[in-house]
Amino acid sequence: MDGLEAPWRVAAQSCAAPPTPLWREDLAKLLGARPRRLGTWAELGLYGACTCLQAAGLGVLPSQAMVCVASLSGSESATHATAEQCRDGLPLPFGFLQSQSSQLLAAFGQWLQWEGEGGFLAHRDPACAWRLAQREALQAQASGVLLGQVEESGVHLSTQWWWLVRG
Amino acid sequence: MRPTYLQGAGLASALGPDRTAAVHSLRTDVLPHMHRHVGFDWPVHTLWDGEMPVSEEAWLARARETVRAVARESGALDTARSGPLFVASSSRDIGAREQTLAWHGDTHAFSERVVQWLDWRGPVFSVFNACTSAVQALLSAQRCIGAGECEEALVLGLELPNRYTVAGLASMQLLAPGRAQPCGTARAGLVVGEAVAALHVGAAPARWRIDGGACVVGGSNPAGLESQSLSRALDLALARSGLDASDIGLVKMHAVGSGVNDALEAVLLAERLGSHASWITLKPSLGHTLGAAGAAEFALLAACQEAGVWPRLHYRPDPALAPRLGQVPTSAVKHLLLLFAGFGGGHAALVATDQEAR
Repeated sequence: MDGLEAPWRVAAQSCAAPPTPLWREDLAKLLGARPRRLGTWAELGLYGACTCLQAAGLGVLPSQAMVCVASLSGSESATHATAEQCRDGLPLPFGFLQSQSSQLLAAFGQWLQWEGEGGFLAHRDPACAWRLAQREALQAQASGVLLGQVEESGVHLSTQWWWLVRG
Repeated sequence: MRPTYLQGAGLASALGPDRTAAVHSLRTDVLPHMHRHVGFDWPVHTLWDGEMPVSEEAWLARARETVRAVARESGALDTARSGPLFVASSSRDIGAREQTLAWHGDTHAFSERVVQWLDWRGPVFSVFNACTSAVQALLSAQRCIGAGECEEALVLGLELPNRYTVAGLASMQLLAPGRAQPCGTARAGLVVGEAVAALHVGAAPARWRIDGGACVVGGSNPAGLESQSLSRALDLALARSGLDASDIGLVKMHAVGSGVNDALEAVLLAERLGSHASWITLKPSLGHTLGAAGAAEFALLAACQEAGVWPRLHYRPDPALAPRLGQVPTSAVKHLLLLFAGFGGGHAALVATDQEAR
């Protein structure tokens, strides 16, 4: 990954760019159930994070781990779809929630038994976001950092994740 | 880590176009602007007079004017503008785009547009973490300054006028039909607040020191508050500030007017802080400014303490929950705690110190 800084090292990674056509079924198998009420962007992020943690041999995300999600697209497709519903006067409870990128972090809490520090951060150059996240994790004395870049631009999907531990 | 100080702040809100106007509104006890956007039954603490601009261009022009004015008020535009800029928001520029549904660029493009508005030369980061966005941004800025990576940074909290947010929160039945009453006996939901706030922070010593904080995600209730997560954020904020709960003299509650969440927060505060600290709420004055709340409420809180002017409650707090809410301090408080929570299980705590207080 670009922007890796000491003392962190990459212990595991996953890259699905694009994911396999059956990625949603794979996600359901990984979780043991289909996640409900998540938008495509958050599902894609959860899928990538699960495969990365699986590669690291972790069943859950340690609570002392910090999470940073970077994305240029964010959950814009959900926002766009929900804005159309809003214009048309339709009720939009699920669409509105799905348009909030923070829902991905909530999904980590629900499905990966994680409660910890984390957030959504974007920069045109993802390496700049990664560096910031690694330094914050170091200062916060995090045991590991889960970094993810999740993009949903029309039909183009990608989800890349890195699990960093202290080297 | 070297300390980080608030060099200046700016705030445009329903209380007025700047912090001086906001303090004047509180001093004269003028109720803030509330308005219902066309087609909605729910009031909003509005930033701009009149109706929203009808075209994307007009909306963006008005937004640019407001953001520039607030950044100027913070003093950040009088610097080299080479430090990091953190743009924190939950709705970004949706108010411009929702009118035509024209979608161009990505989520970060709005932050880059703000860079152009301010002629900013440093790196720009987008922090879109729902209602804890601005606190997360402020803590990132603090870390950069503390580590000596930059001398100054600017945190912008932006919740600009739009209908989308109101429609979304209304559909989740979270909005109050009238004024918000955080921890009130008749609390019935939140009222959205539109605001633009700027926190210009740096290494040069100043009156307000940003001591520490944390943003903890607890996702078992993605739309509600969890005591355990808020408690952990509180613990981390105190530990990183080198303080004990007994050092805190004033708490700015997150409370928005929610039946359950306000109660959970009040119970936790009573357990953790005892009875010595004053509790205040700024949401009846500003509304819930969502992603901008961390910047908007800190900017107003500092202005209140500097002026010795505090918002008055126009409702009765629930005596079982927060009997002393609104009983403001009679002198400046040294250590202040600010709490925030948001969609996605975000819980944030921030500690700041007024170095001129005894």
